[in-house]
Amino acid sequence: MSHEASAGHGHEEHPPTTIRQYVLIGIILAVITALELVVSYYPPGSLEIPLLLGLSAVKFGIVAALFMHLKFEHKIMTRMFLIGIVLAASLMIAIFALFTHDDTDNRVLPDREAITTEAGGH
Amino acid sequence: MAAAAHDAGHQTSLGVDNRKLLMWIFLASECLFFGTLISTYLIFKGQSLVGPFPGDILDIPLTSTSTFVLLMSSVTMVLAVYGAQHGRLGLMRGMLVATILLGTTFLGFQVYEFRHFGHVGLNLGTNQFGATFFLMTGFHGVHVGVGVLYLTSLLLGSMRRSGLGKERALWVDTAGLYWHFVDVVWIVIFTIVYLIPE
Repeated sequence: MSHEASAGHGHEEHPPTTIRQYVLIGIILAVITALELVVSYYPPGSLEIPLLLGLSAVKFGIVAALFMHLKFEHKIMTRMFLIGIVLAASLMIAIFALFTHDDTDNRVLPDREAITTEAGGH
Repeated sequence: MAAAAHDAGHQTSLGVDNRKLLMWIFLASECLFFGTLISTYLIFKGQSLVGPFPGDILDIPLTSTSTFVLLMSSVTMVLAVYGAQHGRLGLMRGMLVATILLGTTFLGFQVYEFRHFGHVGLNLGTNQFGATFFLMTGFHGVHVGVGVLYLTSLLLGSMRRSGLGKERALWVDTAGLYWHFVDVVWIVIFTIVYLIPE
């Protein structure tokens, strides 16, 4: 019985995070979201997309590490999740390659003005 | 004794609780699921030949508010887990109620947005944007809905005399993993759909 209990709670030690720290993390997440909005409304040129993706990745990392407790968990949990993320990234790259490799003619934004004019002409 | 043994979970060769590991494996498979939906959205991004186009109808202030609501639901969820792990049942129940309410509010925002898009003529068959947008955000909304039901069942279970207690904190912890995952998926969708320009 005691063996079972210890097996069940072997890695169930509570994360050391306090309520105050959790609330602080929530505030940080909200501030990062506000930053994303600032970047979106006042785009810093070519840095806009890398900045937005970077901020999004930071939020993702904070939630996974501190709210999902990956930082304090057994390594197998992190590995399991990373396998999913790596497979998903590989899948995305494969899908992009599949759809765009030989499609250089259509991989540009359509000229909507021309389409509208053409439609109006008919 | 039997109930306590049940709460303790099964011994595994890895030394981790199998229920929690199962949830992580499930979430890993969900990465692939949402990865496919996000890829499809990105492939068709900017390829629509007829409107409405994203720039015409996406309401960033509204969605930013719903994003904030979902982020805050992650805070209340982690506090519910904290309450469960520290035997503070009042805190756990209160935070579960808050999470359920915030999740329902997020769903309300999504229903409003979908109805608005329908009124301006965007649906699944209108163009590539409509097809991929509704598919991706719709499936995310379904996940939020399932999460709300999941948390509600935990809350109701905790109200029963022999329901959730400190020993069964793992149940709340596992539900929390699901909820936070739904949140991180939205973090990605919000950036890709709403913030990155067409």
